[in-house]
Amino acid sequence: MLAIVSRAENQVEIVFGTDAYYGKEISVDEMRFRRFMSIACGLACMGAMVTGDLFDFTLFVSLVGICNVGIVAAVKTKHVQNAAFQYGIVALTATVPLFGGAAITAATTGTLSMIALGTALAGPVPFIAQAALVLGVMGEGMAPFYAAKAEMFRAPGAPYVIMCSFSSLLIFLRVVEVVLTI
Amino acid sequence: MIIGRISRFLSDFDNLMPVFAGACALLFVLGILLLPLPYSESQLYPKRIDRASSLDPYDRGGPPFTQANISMQYPENSPTAGYVTTYLTPFSWWLSTTTLHLGTTIVAHPGGILDEILYNTRGLDTVVEPTILFIAFAIASYLFRKGI
Repeated sequence: MLAIVSRAENQVEIVFGTDAYYGKEISVDEMRFRRFMSIACGLACMGAMVTGDLFDFTLFVSLVGICNVGIVAAVKTKHVQNAAFQYGIVALTATVPLFGGAAITAATTGTLSMIALGTALAGPVPFIAQAALVLGVMGEGMAPFYAAKAEMFRAPGAPYVIMCSFSSLLIFLRVVEVVLTI
Repeated sequence: MIIGRISRFLSDFDNLMPVFAGACALLFVLGILLLPLPYSESQLYPKRIDRASSLDPYDRGGPPFTQANISMQYPENSPTAGYVTTYLTPFSWWLSTTTLHLGTTIVAHPGGILDEILYNTRGLDTVVEPTILFIAFAIASYLFRKGI
């Protein structure tokens, strides 16, 4: 009955020790921007999941990372924005091992097609390329460098941060598959 | 105990950047130790550098708007590949025919430094790269307009 009559859309914080409480207002503009970022993140996730090319995979993963930064940075809280800044720097740094891994793969095997790399014809992908790929994907949004995002779940009115989690889960599964295949 | 300490350390987002940079540095040290890596001679996307070209080092071969022979991973997917071999705007084209310095301006033509890794009708790359750029611009403009 309570669930029927309640309108549990707004987050309310209670001040301990007193009777005071304050609600958090989310502007429509902010929600609209984060919805756009979530949709872009979902499309990038789909691309990263279905692509058969190593370089396209790294591009889609970096797109996922940028969209996650956008979802988080739209929150108008100073604490969250500081976290978003740090996370953005990590995502920026992660592009070096990410694209480096793809470049080493291209140089040592001569191709970037995962189908061709999966066969024995292309030759073995060096360990350092696989490790760089995994580290790059970790930086773009995976545990344990993911702790910043756990902070975002406390962000005011945040249905869209779930997309961050979901995307990182998907690209985690995909990078395991890629590293096992090539 | 130790897990609790690690998790407490990682939950402070100010520590994320040093941890990740340390991991990258470790990996690159390991990479230097694992050198030399073999270079595959049969590259699908061969790279020829023509120092005399005005587009150096971005010369991708072939004049614009005529079909050129280019190598592809899956030729059956793109039968019309090679019609546009360079994405030069008229201004860039003029600059490249009059000076020798277009190659020093990465922004002069789309693609730029990213597809220096490989370029030959890798069409989806050139779509995803501007997408990343536009998303970044959208975030930056939103942050700029909303203030704190």
